[in-house]
Amino acid sequence: MTARFSHRTPLATFAAYGTLSFFVILALFPFFYMISLSLQSDADLSSGVPVLVPSVLQFSNYVAIWEKAPFARFILNSFIVAGGITALHLFFDPLVGYVFAKLEFFGKRAMFAALLSTLMLPFFIRMIPLYILTAKMGWLNTYQGLIMPFAMSAYGIFLMRQFIRPIPDDLLDAARLDGASEWRIYRSVVLPQLGPPMATLGLLTFVFQFNEFLWPLVVVSSVEMRPITTGLTLFNSEFFTQWNLTATGGVILFLPSFLLFVFMQRYFVQSVMTSGMK
Amino acid sequence: MRLPNSRKAREAGFAYIVLLPAIAYFLVYFFYPIVVELWASFFRGQPLIGQSEFAGFDNYRQALMDSRVRAAFGRTVVFATLGTVFTLVPALCLAAILSGPIKAATTIRAIIFFPYIISFVIVALMWKSLLDPYTGILNALLSYLDLPTQNWLSTPSTALPTIVAITVWKDIGYAMLIYIAAIQGIPKDLYEAAEVDGASPAQRFRRITIPLLMPTTLFLAVISTIGHLQDLSAPYLLTGGGPAEATRLYALHVYEAAFLELNIGYASALSFLMFVAILVITFLQFRFLNREVVY
Repeated sequence: MTARFSHRTPLATFAAYGTLSFFVILALFPFFYMISLSLQSDADLSSGVPVLVPSVLQFSNYVAIWEKAPFARFILNSFIVAGGITALHLFFDPLVGYVFAKLEFFGKRAMFAALLSTLMLPFFIRMIPLYILTAKMGWLNTYQGLIMPFAMSAYGIFLMRQFIRPIPDDLLDAARLDGASEWRIYRSVVLPQLGPPMATLGLLTFVFQFNEFLWPLVVVSSVEMRPITTGLTLFNSEFFTQWNLTATGGVILFLPSFLLFVFMQRYFVQSVMTSGMK
Repeated sequence: MRLPNSRKAREAGFAYIVLLPAIAYFLVYFFYPIVVELWASFFRGQPLIGQSEFAGFDNYRQALMDSRVRAAFGRTVVFATLGTVFTLVPALCLAAILSGPIKAATTIRAIIFFPYIISFVIVALMWKSLLDPYTGILNALLSYLDLPTQNWLSTPSTALPTIVAITVWKDIGYAMLIYIAAIQGIPKDLYEAAEVDGASPAQRFRRITIPLLMPTTLFLAVISTIGHLQDLSAPYLLTGGGPAEATRLYALHVYEAAFLELNIGYASALSFLMFVAILVITFLQFRFLNREVVY
């Protein structure tokens, strides 16, 4: 890698670090400002001159917002929905991926093609019929209504299939000779080798579902069933002038994704980079 | 090697048992909605709950004649084009820089990528507070530097460029990572050969990196365009479509027709038109960008 751009002049080096610094500051500044706002007092905010560093750190904002909206319930809802969807993905995506990667059966190619074609369908196109369907099933305002439209994904199945294909067939055949059932082979031979890709799939699924905004907006009507994304907008519109409290809610919503990212940053970066290399 | 019949049957049996729930799921949640959406678009009123009459192509005709729909579509094309170009160009530059000898490249890469995994609800909140004309820090900074302040999201001429900038801010790190992965896949000897022939770094970038990244650019352009064409979060959360409809994007128009006006048949036709537009635009991008690769 180093050899590739080795003929760097000092000016080029300076320009490179300058550009990177600009983008790093640009990426981080809004987060700093949100955290700063969440610690500002009403006096700071109404002083007429916006400040970046609060005169006193008003941690009480973090106490105050729990009284303004059922935040604990919002957070619980988000974890139930995103966690439920992630669990379903981790159960079904590798299993279906295994079937398409290693087993022979009638209709395999056609089914796989049909599965991949769903990647072309924008969620937007399916949204109205899905809403009616969910309503007919009596699932508006329920966890299953929030979870089911995202229970499996063609992308996850495809990704798992890509990781299962390189596992040697001899290994599976040896297990078959020993009399293992297909389920046993999947459980004991295939699944243990999928640790890192499963971690990646679970992580990406959880974060994107935790952030999902549109579907809860459509399907949830009561305040208690809202996940934190739509819960926060309610908060925002009701107290729109109180940027400090709104920002406090933002920091709370941002925290789970942030912690996951800090601890598993390598997985995130790797997974995105492999997904583009298909 | 031929499989013994009993084993073949056993494999197939297991495959079908596993696939049964998957097939049911994809039929109910993907294929059924598409068919129903198409069917509903030929009815007036609320065809999915039984109050409707057959309308033929009336919904489509009405949509194509409606100047608000055409304006929303035109605006959305501008939004998608600007959003895609302004995401891809800086992302490529960043990827090129970060593929060179840079200290802390891994950390910088992670920081620039970070906004991509954050909910748009937070993104909108952060930028609205930054851009607030009275209490936001950006105007304070501008007036400190004696530059004219702006009411960014509430002025018709600046609102759309502002929401473009915010979506670019969020997406740039994703495109950058994909470009870095692609640059790492370019064979080294190509650069070494060019270097022996006396090509400057700029020439090598123009003659080797950019042409070889064409498939990656195509992939990113397609997903970025599709994402922008159906973006509802940005206008919904940042501006609500205002001021004076300046940011009323197509998806927001469809959302309102469906869920506020409850005009399901008409909204279904609008959705399907968008679907067709997405297919056409994707096809054109493949034609156009593929030609560039071949030369």
